[in-house]
Amino acid sequence: MDRRSFIKLTAITGTSATLAGCGNPENQLIRFIPAEDIVPGVAVWKPGVCPLCRAGCGLTVRVMDADAEVVRDGQAGIVRIAAAKKLEGAPDHPVNRGGLCPRGQAAIQITYHPDRITQPLRRAGERGQGRYEAVSWDGALTEIVSRLDALEGAGNQRALAAVTQSGRGHRSALIGRFLGAYGAPGPIAYELFGDEVLRRANGLSFGRQQLPTFDLANARYVLSLGADFLGTWNSPVAQSVGYGRMRQGRPGLRGAFTQVESRMSQTGAGADEWVPVRPGTEGVLALGLANLIMAAQLHPASAAGRAGALIEGWNAGLANYAPREVERITGLAAARVERLARQLGDARPAVAMVGGPPLAHSNGLFTALAVNALNALIGAVEQPGGMFFTPQLDVATASKASGSVASPAPTIDRLAADGLSGGPATQVLLVDGANPVFTTPRAWRVREAFEKIPYIASFSSFLDETSILSDLILPDHSFLESWTEALPESGSMVAVASVAPPVMRPLHQTRATADVLLEIGRRLRRPLDLPWQTFDEMLAATFAGLPSATADVDAWTDAQAKGAWAGPLPAGLAVAGTAGASAAPGTFAFTAPLFDGNAEQYPFYFLPYPSNAFLDGSLAHLPWLQEMPDPLSSAMWSSWVEINPATAERLGIGTGDVVEVASAHGALRTAAVITPGIAPDMVAMPAGQGHRTFTRYASGRGENPVELLAPVTDAATAALAWAATRVRMSRVGPPDGRLILFAGGMREHPAGEHQR
Amino acid sequence: MAADLDRCTGCGACVVACHAENNISTVGAGQAAIGRAKHWLRVERYWEGDFPNVGLKFVPVMCQQCDNAPCEPVCPTYASHHTEDGLNAQVYNRCIGTRYCANACPYNVRFFDFFNPSWEKPLQLQLNPDVSLREVGVMEKCTFCVQRIRGTQIQAKAEDREVRDGEIQPACVQSCGARALVFGDLADPESEVSRLSRSPRGSKLLEDLGTQPKVNYLSRQSQA
Amino acid sequence: MCLAAFAGSVGCRLFEPASSTTDSAAPLLPGQSTGVFTTARPTLAGALNDFFGRRPIADQPLEFPHNVHVGKQIMCTEYCHESVTKGPVAGLPSVSTCMICHAAIATDRPRIQQLAALSEKGLDLQWARVYGYATEARVKFNHAPHIRAKVECATCHGDVGEQTVAQRNVDLNMGFCVNCHNANNASVDCLACHF
Repeated sequence: MDRRSFIKLTAITGTSATLAGCGNPENQLIRFIPAEDIVPGVAVWKPGVCPLCRAGCGLTVRVMDADAEVVRDGQAGIVRIAAAKKLEGAPDHPVNRGGLCPRGQAAIQITYHPDRITQPLRRAGERGQGRYEAVSWDGALTEIVSRLDALEGAGNQRALAAVTQSGRGHRSALIGRFLGAYGAPGPIAYELFGDEVLRRANGLSFGRQQLPTFDLANARYVLSLGADFLGTWNSPVAQSVGYGRMRQGRPGLRGAFTQVESRMSQTGAGADEWVPVRPGTEGVLALGLANLIMAAQLHPASAAGRAGALIEGWNAGLANYAPREVERITGLAAARVERLARQLGDARPAVAMVGGPPLAHSNGLFTALAVNALNALIGAVEQPGGMFFTPQLDVATASKASGSVASPAPTIDRLAADGLSGGPATQVLLVDGANPVFTTPRAWRVREAFEKIPYIASFSSFLDETSILSDLILPDHSFLESWTEALPESGSMVAVASVAPPVMRPLHQTRATADVLLEIGRRLRRPLDLPWQTFDEMLAATFAGLPSATADVDAWTDAQAKGAWAGPLPAGLAVAGTAGASAAPGTFAFTAPLFDGNAEQYPFYFLPYPSNAFLDGSLAHLPWLQEMPDPLSSAMWSSWVEINPATAERLGIGTGDVVEVASAHGALRTAAVITPGIAPDMVAMPAGQGHRTFTRYASGRGENPVELLAPVTDAATAALAWAATRVRMSRVGPPDGRLILFAGGMREHPAGEHQR
Repeated sequence: MAADLDRCTGCGACVVACHAENNISTVGAGQAAIGRAKHWLRVERYWEGDFPNVGLKFVPVMCQQCDNAPCEPVCPTYASHHTEDGLNAQVYNRCIGTRYCANACPYNVRFFDFFNPSWEKPLQLQLNPDVSLREVGVMEKCTFCVQRIRGTQIQAKAEDREVRDGEIQPACVQSCGARALVFGDLADPESEVSRLSRSPRGSKLLEDLGTQPKVNYLSRQSQA
Repeated sequence: MCLAAFAGSVGCRLFEPASSTTDSAAPLLPGQSTGVFTTARPTLAGALNDFFGRRPIADQPLEFPHNVHVGKQIMCTEYCHESVTKGPVAGLPSVSTCMICHAAIATDRPRIQQLAALSEKGLDLQWARVYGYATEARVKFNHAPHIRAKVECATCHGDVGEQTVAQRNVDLNMGFCVNCHNANNASVDCLACHF
């Protein structure tokens, strides 16, 4: 027998044993008549909108025929469907221009995930046990409606709360309108790595409470303070497109780029110069640079206008931020500060950006305001090669949603504290696209608070740490099966509204959450005054007011075909800036960042960071992302803590060793990765793993750094200061296989290692 | 192909795009731990220096489609061979899984299927019908998305024209926001990829081995 | 080989839903196939047939008389296998295609009534493939360019118009393809068809 035959026969015996034991072969299933016309084997491309982050990138989705197993009227069978096959960035979309990040590429696995919730479920066991029974949509809606009617009957509408993903689009607006019409507080949008501090700062400095857009393509010099703008921060694909052009898109002219941070991020790797400073002192560096630029009379202090006036001592030239003082606070040599100032002052156009860890301290707002003032000083605001604010569509006005607006929501920690301490208790909680049990610090006790809420309904497609506490699950369509939209906050010079009709028919017995909310609104004893029957009616109402980019076609039809509308907003439909509207909040000066845990007992700064694969953990269920090697460590399917080589040597830690990392709030054991790109007094851990419950691919895998976080917040905005915890660390054992690296050595390990 | 390392951000979009396009199965944590993960395209990292003067460079590495490919002469069944348009082909039908080619390849870009790949339903609905599924005992590697090359050639012929420069985009090239990867016809001196191959920043991986690789790497420019 | 079989049975257990959270969410209904799609052959017999190159005789759900339809000038490429000019796959007609004509034509025939009954119930015909390549052959055949190159249907499919139920009477092995490619100066590169 030749080798090939041998291999074939082994395969045959092995695999047939598998299948004979496990179920019926496919060909026994009956076949249903397809519900749509499909040319077999020929791909068509349809527009889509990426749902994974707030960037709102446009997609083009490859659709082809496929045989899907479905259940119709209780009968299992096969039907040919038009199935999404691949997601690509839409070439003409004003934000991502054809590009797409790895997460966006993998988003298609959400639709086809084997652990998706396929129909409405009602809790059948104890809370948190994960035992559910199937229930019809009618039964499920009747149940939630009766709960809401009961609250209304008792005049206790304010006991309804909703926790949602953050966003500015129509979906958020619809949820807000629903809650407002019912009489409940507005939705609680909590994001672990949220940008509320920067939005607030931009509101104060520039009258625009939103994330900035950077014109990197035309910049000569970029100074980034902690912003992982090529990886996970703000609008990473738009920024990558600009970055490519900045580096090599202009013949003979290459933009330079400096990254300031204490742990090298994926973005930092691209920098010409990488500058570590002490955590929480980035604002001092920014003002130190401003001090030198003013002193050299490269730009006058008055150029910074209102943004400068917010900084104490600005008009006096920031004498408190002289290079020596900057060196003392930040740890960066005065000579280097001077060199950076020359670079920034000389290159035109130049721009500074700040995001991520520098703003996740108790003095985050000050840091953001300091960088804003620096940008204003160097003339980077609303200038080519600088920063812009993408005009924002006013959803409420555009969709003609008159009526009561929900009152401001409490923060998630407030909601939990109230529920646990006998304050105003939530009776019914709706959860849409958020998993706060996983992403909030333990000290906020969100899980305990949710367990005390009498009734929780979730729109989740998966059982995660939050949805497993729910009494009723009303699973949403996937983003490929429903109307999707986004109003990108940044990433484009002109206003953008992305929209796409469903790409494919629903695979399961799910319903679009927006439509479910509208139906609940209609079914209530006192029906809510919502002007739309379906979500697409709401979208159509918005687009009816927009000018069309194509002659003879209205904006609504045109946008659906292209996947986006872009252009100048008609008067009255733009969100107005808040310039001069708010009372002067006084001036800001540097205060030393607060850290939880004293330096003797907890000698290391602890930096959790959004994982390139999973962000805050909401994508840990996608196998492609689990198996994608991390850009900096090449780790797959793993959690790890990054340690400087000198520190590792001192503590006797080698790569792969199991270490214990402990803060005053919790402890975890994970694998060590020794890397030169981190300060000796800091350890860093990617967020995303450590799910207790999140599908077969993520459950019980790795550790969640949020478990260690102290409940420190930025003083001014109450946003979580997620970089303000100190930890101690010790080695507890040799490598035990929990760290899986793609790099290093021969890929197929010697036989001895197989039996480990 | 050309890879401009000055544009590459190391994000990994190309890695996932390759999985999505080419039906590359994930192997799971257990198999990945013993070195059986399959990534036709990977992003390598090179650390330089010590803290605080530390730098890191990313290099995307896929099959270099060598003109003088070390994997080809070692294959007893001619499964690994050169095509007329210059691709280094892996013909699954011929492959008997000796893995000699993987040993011979200096770039470590060939991957062996240790088992019949499986997709937990309904993940298989995503599979690209234009690309074969590889069974146990077969080597697989980057094809420069030959299915896209053939598809575009057929389309161009149907429209009675030549293939335009830049019209063929392998999945990795398409996915790249920073436009670090460029694909085209090196035989055409006017093509974008030919132009880039003449860049003074250009070099090839392990060129001194005489493999004559066909991916040009444009090095990171240092700031003057 | 015993080892391989054993490995298979272990694999079976691995493919069961991993945790209690999944079986509550997606119960396996009677008649539903396993939760795993693999490149392996579904049965031992199927694997052996693949190995020896034996093909099953197409057992059609309905005796479709090709001769009658072709005789009535119903063009294959316009009505029933209409995607043949557009892409790789010729396509097998669904019941709804049949019913376009047969809602009105020959409705008294038992076979047509059978069709109508299926259509009524929303069930489709499970046509068995007559031509086509085994998955293992890894042939990415594309009809459209062959049609554009004026290759007659009959060259590869015989005279189907003379047949009632279609029979495989041309052996589409690699020699057959390569001979024709050579004769017409078409590429015989491996990667012309296998990828």
